[in-house]
Amino acid sequence: MTQTAEAAAENLPARRESRAEKLLSWLIRGASPAASHLLLLPAAAWLLVFLLLPVACLLALSLATRGPYGTVVWSFTWANFGRALNPMYLPVLLRTAAYAGSATGLCLALGFPLAYYLSFYAGKRRETLLVMLMIPFWTSCLVAIYSWMIILGRHGLLNDLLGRLGLIQAPLPLLNNGFSVVLGLVYFYIPFMVLPLYGSLEKIPRAYLEAAYDLGASPAEAFLKVTLPLSLPGVFAGCLLTFVPCMGDFLTAEFLGGPRNFLIGNLIQNQFLMSQDWPFGAALTALLVLSLISGLYFYQRLEARQIEP
Amino acid sequence: MIGRRVSRFSALSTYVAALYAFLYLPLAVMFVFSFNDARRNVVWKGFTLSWYGRLFHDAELIGALGTSLRLALTAAAIASVLGLLASYAMARHPAFKGRQTYNALFSVPLMMPEVVMGVSLLAFFVRVRIPLDFGSLACAHALIALPYTISSIRARLLSLRDSRLEDAAMDLGATEWQAFRKITLPLAWPAIFSGALLAFTVSFEDFVTTFFIAGIGIVTMPIKVYSMMKFGVTPEINALACCLLALTMLLLAGNRLLSRDPAAR
Repeated sequence: MTQTAEAAAENLPARRESRAEKLLSWLIRGASPAASHLLLLPAAAWLLVFLLLPVACLLALSLATRGPYGTVVWSFTWANFGRALNPMYLPVLLRTAAYAGSATGLCLALGFPLAYYLSFYAGKRRETLLVMLMIPFWTSCLVAIYSWMIILGRHGLLNDLLGRLGLIQAPLPLLNNGFSVVLGLVYFYIPFMVLPLYGSLEKIPRAYLEAAYDLGASPAEAFLKVTLPLSLPGVFAGCLLTFVPCMGDFLTAEFLGGPRNFLIGNLIQNQFLMSQDWPFGAALTALLVLSLISGLYFYQRLEARQIEP
Repeated sequence: MIGRRVSRFSALSTYVAALYAFLYLPLAVMFVFSFNDARRNVVWKGFTLSWYGRLFHDAELIGALGTSLRLALTAAAIASVLGLLASYAMARHPAFKGRQTYNALFSVPLMMPEVVMGVSLLAFFVRVRIPLDFGSLACAHALIALPYTISSIRARLLSLRDSRLEDAAMDLGATEWQAFRKITLPLAWPAIFSGALLAFTVSFEDFVTTFFIAGIGIVTMPIKVYSMMKFGVTPEINALACCLLALTMLLLAGNRLLSRDPAAR
C-alpha cells in the first residue's frame, strides 16, 4: 500500500515533467512551423505593440486637426501636409536633406580610405582599430556634442589656438552654422559608413586582385576595375545607414547649429513638446518617413541594378 | 614598384592616424578639462579633482544614475528573453514560411530614425492612455535594444548549429530538451550575456526616444546631462562624461570578452 503510494508519488511528477519536456522538445525541434511562430510571437508582438501600432497612430494623427489648448480633434484633413509643404517649412526639409546628403558624402570620402586601410593594410592592428572606431560611437552623443562646443566656440579651443599662432586676427565663426552641424553629423555617423564598407572590402577574394595584377593591371586599374565595383554593396549600405539617422537628427542641430540652422527633427520636436500642435508634428514626421521610404526604394532599385546587371 | 607601395602605405597610415585623432579629439578635450580648475572651459588654470568630488554629492545626479541603471537592467532583461526565443527559431528551426518577414521586421527599429520612434510612441501612449511611467519607458527601451540581442544570440546559435554538438548528444541518447539544456544553452550563454550587455548600453545611453516619452519625474542620466547642457555650462559635465565613458568602456570590454567565439580561441 505504502509502496504503491510512493511509487505513484514518484511516477506522477516524473510523468508530468516528461510531458513538459515533450512540449519543450517540440518547440526546440521546430519541425512544425507553429513551433517557430510560437517562439517568434513574443518578439513580434512587442514590435507590433511598441512600433507598428504607434506608427499607425502617428499617421492617423497627421490627418487630425489641432483643437484648442493643444488638444486633438479627430477629423480627416490633408491640411497639415499642405502646411508642411508651404514655403515656410519646405526649406527646412530641403536643408535637412542637404545637410544629411553632404554629411553622407563626406563620411564616404573620409571613411573609404579608412575601410580600405583596415581591410588591406591594418594587419595586427585591425582588431584594435575596429574597437577604437566603435568607442566614440558608444559614447553618449550629448557628451561629444558638449566637447565640440568647447572646441569650436567663439572663444573655444580652436580659435584660441589659431589666435595664439597668429594665423587669425579675429575669431572664426566655427559654431552655430552649417559647417558645425555637418561636422557633428560626420563625427557621429562615420562608423556607420566605415563598418559596412569594411565588410564588403573584406569579402573581396584577394585572388581576384592577384589575377588582375597577373594580367598586367596597374594598382590604379586593379582598384578601379576590381576593388571599387565589388565594394559597391558596402558603399550603398553605408550611405543608407548614414543618411537615414542624419535625416532624423535633432541633437546636433540643437546644440551645434544655433537658432538659424534647425532641421526637420527640431521642427518635429518643437511641435510635440513646445507648440503642442501634434497633428502638424505628425504630418512632418510622416513626410520624413515618406522621404526615407522613397529613398530606400530608390536605393534598392539602384543596388539591384548594380549587383545583378 | 615596392617603393611606391610602401610610400602609399605610409601616406594612408598617416591619414588613418589623423582620422582617429579627429574621432578622439572631443574625448581627449573632455578628459583634460575635467581636471581643469576653472569655471570657463577654454583656459587651463590648474589641476583639480573638485568636479569629480561634486558629482558624488549631487543627489539629483545619483538619482538619475539609479533610474538609468534600473531602466537599462529591465530593458536588457526583456530584450534578452524575447531575443533568445526569436533568434532560436530563426537560427535553429528548419526554414519556415515567413522567416524573411520576421527578419525584416526585426531590423525595422534599427532603420527608423529615433525621432520618429519617440513621437510615435508618445502619440500612441497618450492616445490609448498608457501612463508615461517607468514601465512604458522600459518597454520602449526593450524595443530599441531588441535588434542587438537578436543579432548577438543568433550569430552564436548559427555557429553552434554548424558544430553539430547537439546531434552528437542526441546520438548518445539525450532528448532534444536535454541536448538544448546541457549543450546549446551553456555554450550560447556568453552570447546571451553579451547581447544583454549591448542592450544595457543601448538603453543606458538612449536620449532621443526617452526625451519624448519620459514622463514628469523620470530623469535618466542622458536627460540629466541634456538639462545640464541646456541650463548652464559647467565643467562638471566633463567629469560626468569621463565617468560615463569609463562605464561604457567597461561594458564594451565585457561584451568583447564574452562574444569571442570559443571555436576561434
